[in-house]
Amino acid sequence: MSDFLNLILEPIREMFMKFREFLPNFLAMLVILFVGFLIAALLRRLLVRFLSAIGFDSWSDRMGFTSMMRKGDLWDKPSSMLGSFFFWIMVLITLMTGLNALKIHVIENMVLQFFNYLPRAASALLILVAGYLLSAFFSRTLLIAAVNAGYRYAKPVARAVKVLLLIMTFAMVMEQLQIAPGIVLAAFSIVFGGIVAALTIAFGVGGIDVARKMIESEVAERKPESTDVEHI
Amino acid sequence: MTDFYQTGSITTLHQIGKTSLERIEAELLAYSKARPIALVLPALYSEFEGPAMPGIVHELAKVKYLNQIVLTLDQASESEMKKAREFMSPVSAEIKIVHNNGRRIAEIYEMLSRNGVDAGQKGKGRSAWLAYGYILARGMSEIIALHDCDIVTYSREMLARLCYPVANPNMDFVFCKGYYSRVTTKMGGRVTRLLVTPLVRSIQQLIGPHPFLVFLDSFRYPLAGEFCMVTDLARVNRIPWDWGLEVGSLAEVHRNYSARRVCQVDIAATYDHKHQVLSAEDVGGGLMKMAVDICKSVFRTLASEGVVFSDGFFNSLLLAYLRQAEDTLMKYEADAAMNGLEFDRHEEARAVEAFTNAISAASRAFSENALGNPLIPNWSRVSAAIPAIFEMLEAAVDADN
Amino acid sequence: MSSIAFRAEVEAQIEAVGHADIVVGIPSFNNARTIGRVVRAVQAGLAKYFPDERAVIVNSDGGSADGTMDVVRASSMDDFGAILIHHRISPVSKISFPYSGIPGKGSAFRSIFEIAKVLGAKACAVVDSDLRSIAPEWMELLLKPVLEWDFDYVAPLYHRHKFDGTITNSIIYPLTRALYGRRVRQPIGGEFGFSGRIAKHYLEKEVWESDVARFGIDIWMTTTAIADGFRVAQSFLGAKIHDPKDPGADLVEMLYQVVGATFELMETYAEIWTPIRESRAVETFGFEYAVGLEHVAVDTGRMLDAFRAGLENLGEIWREILGEGDFREVEKLGETGVFPVELWARIVYDYAIAFHKRKLPREHLIKSLAPLYLGKTAIFIRTIEKMEMPEVEDEIEKLCAAFESSKDYLVASWKRS
Repeated sequence: MSDFLNLILEPIREMFMKFREFLPNFLAMLVILFVGFLIAALLRRLLVRFLSAIGFDSWSDRMGFTSMMRKGDLWDKPSSMLGSFFFWIMVLITLMTGLNALKIHVIENMVLQFFNYLPRAASALLILVAGYLLSAFFSRTLLIAAVNAGYRYAKPVARAVKVLLLIMTFAMVMEQLQIAPGIVLAAFSIVFGGIVAALTIAFGVGGIDVARKMIESEVAERKPESTDVEHI
Repeated sequence: MTDFYQTGSITTLHQIGKTSLERIEAELLAYSKARPIALVLPALYSEFEGPAMPGIVHELAKVKYLNQIVLTLDQASESEMKKAREFMSPVSAEIKIVHNNGRRIAEIYEMLSRNGVDAGQKGKGRSAWLAYGYILARGMSEIIALHDCDIVTYSREMLARLCYPVANPNMDFVFCKGYYSRVTTKMGGRVTRLLVTPLVRSIQQLIGPHPFLVFLDSFRYPLAGEFCMVTDLARVNRIPWDWGLEVGSLAEVHRNYSARRVCQVDIAATYDHKHQVLSAEDVGGGLMKMAVDICKSVFRTLASEGVVFSDGFFNSLLLAYLRQAEDTLMKYEADAAMNGLEFDRHEEARAVEAFTNAISAASRAFSENALGNPLIPNWSRVSAAIPAIFEMLEAAVDADN
Repeated sequence: MSSIAFRAEVEAQIEAVGHADIVVGIPSFNNARTIGRVVRAVQAGLAKYFPDERAVIVNSDGGSADGTMDVVRASSMDDFGAILIHHRISPVSKISFPYSGIPGKGSAFRSIFEIAKVLGAKACAVVDSDLRSIAPEWMELLLKPVLEWDFDYVAPLYHRHKFDGTITNSIIYPLTRALYGRRVRQPIGGEFGFSGRIAKHYLEKEVWESDVARFGIDIWMTTTAIADGFRVAQSFLGAKIHDPKDPGADLVEMLYQVVGATFELMETYAEIWTPIRESRAVETFGFEYAVGLEHVAVDTGRMLDAFRAGLENLGEIWREILGEGDFREVEKLGETGVFPVELWARIVYDYAIAFHKRKLPREHLIKSLAPLYLGKTAIFIRTIEKMEMPEVEDEIEKLCAAFESSKDYLVASWKRS
């Protein structure tokens, strides 16, 4: 009879033991989550304060971030946007750390993968931001230089350069994130190569005359420079 | 807007050709020596964080003919008011901020209601009214201009064109309203297009030509928020504090002055709308309330001029309006197609339905209580009730600043 | 501040001279054709007007390849101390030439100041090496106000063709005048007289490694002299005719350098220029006589094309900088054919404010001004085409008045940022 009882009690005791083993882990997770949330919320507030103190909002108005957000139907202030973004990243990290504290093998593996992926995600983000800023900067440099060189179609050209740079950035980001790298590379090569080829053909076939005229008029226009006014 | 057609009983000043802002401003500067001009800016603090305000300040900083600017600020804390002041600092005209949420101004409102002067509920109407009071108290300005603070494409040309007809002593205008086409990728200004104009025309259909209706129908954009007036007008006019603000103000102007002394001016021929924030119009609560208030304001004005409204009249009006509105809708559909604008016929038809309901609701409310009066008393009466009001108001605003 | 160490041979030259009352600096770069004449004129002037003072000519060369220094050596008379040095040129200067045409002009000036200090000079002068219209009298005009009337800084005053010097006429002169309240007509003239006192003062400034020293040395010297309260005068030198500038010296680059340096100085001296509201004349020496000037052919059509290209392509940038109202005025320009002076004053101020608030990277910002400047210049040239010189000066005077009357706007907007 006691055997039978044991047979029933044994699993229960075992489960209880397991639960006792597990309980501290679970509590640890709860504590980690709680503290993590607190820290995340605190950091968000600090970040938003800091960003508005350094005038991040007006800076992003100028850099076109704000209008980019508005196009994406985001009507927050850029600083609080960024704050929320960091908050959720922190929350995600907290969640992962918390789950890790449960010491369950499958989850541990997943968490490990997550943390391994994190640097890639961060550098991808960095590439994205830098790419966006640089493409805006270069296209404007080109725009102003082209206008000052008297080129009337400066805007479409500058825009095209910007789009190309953005495509390149996008490809780099995808590559960094290792999202179907082969396909991204192939697609990028096809798109980029295609554009270059199309331009070559278009200019080569259709543009010989135009090019000659442009060069001729350039040469012709350079001459009267010396009879021009002295600006200084 | 390149025609030169004169509508109805008031004068229309078009934008013809490319006028020189430099010339208008130079003339305004000369006129303003004899008749100083004040600008009233009704603003919410949130607008200071929006996209329009930096542009407006940049433009106003270049305006030299303004004598004073009264910024009547709503929904702002003490520190936000300071920020607003700091924000406005590039502007060279004297700036006074009427801090509607402040302790002192609250006390002014309190005192007004203690003495039986009902300033109504808070809103643009009441804020603007108090700003006029302050300008009257200071007695520095002869002309008051007003425009909103959410115009993303604000140019100081708008202000100059708005002030010019009233400031120019050779023209003898006492009131001038701005007009422009409110067009983004589709047509805005639905309340004007689909409610006010068809309503006015359908009432005329029923009762025949009436001076006030002709007057109202003369305005190309009766609900535009930009206008300019002589200070005396602010003294004798009563202003509705509800959504009937614009129509009610026009009614008061019509009552007190001849239509010959009223004009409208094209203030933004090249109104740029690229960055126009989404329109606040939604066919729901806000829009409905606005439509009802406007209809009531029209009914009340007509009734006070002797027009008799019966239930039968209202029934006919609903049907007449519906037909007018549908006809108008088709006109705008053609207009939109011609100019390559989006036109959501369904949305527009729903708006007409909502407006029909609004007219019906307004007529019911009017029949039940014809005297329900949202007009704030004029400043002449206020100063009769509280002789020291001007000094107190001046002291309150100056202390806040 | 680190003082520059001279190479041994220069050290030896300086030691040989020992002491001098007057130092005349001539920075040069590939000016073999003209520099001989300049050196002789300087020597003649010094001999004629300052026979009792001990004078030294310093030629500071930026690495000429055409034997400029040999010409200088050959033209030197025996009884004159002459110091020939190479000034340092940073790699940057060789790539992008300063508007003055002399790479490393800042370094050249620094060497000249340094030598003046070591030699204990009372008065100094600097003249360009590409001048064709220099006369011995220039020495008297540049040096005498310093030596006899105790001025610290003597700016030049020239007659120039009415179409010439447009950056000076439409930006630099009205702006400096409105900002600092002194009417120095040629703030970036190229020839200067100055005292030993101010030379020391210049050396103490921490600008020698910056872009201001590299590209905007003239405007820096003028502005510093006025803003730091030195006694400033100008001398009428007649006509200024020099060798045609290097056609590669590109207008946009020039505009960027001069205007950039001027705006940069506005940051440094903000506390000094904000309270100033009116301007007064500076003491002027020399007899103003009329001079015949070569005819200048101008193609305003091309300038207007550049303006239109700007309007088509840079509209968004201009709108951002100028604001809605003035941008629309700019849009109307093509049709009205009149450029209101107030509008131009506000445009320059708006650019200064945008520079101050860092609305755009500075190079983008100032280079986007170029088409506007060309539009303004084209319209200005069309306006003055039939005018005589005094009337043209009246036009420039009107522009200056507009700059001065709009200054409130600049100051108010400057402070809020």
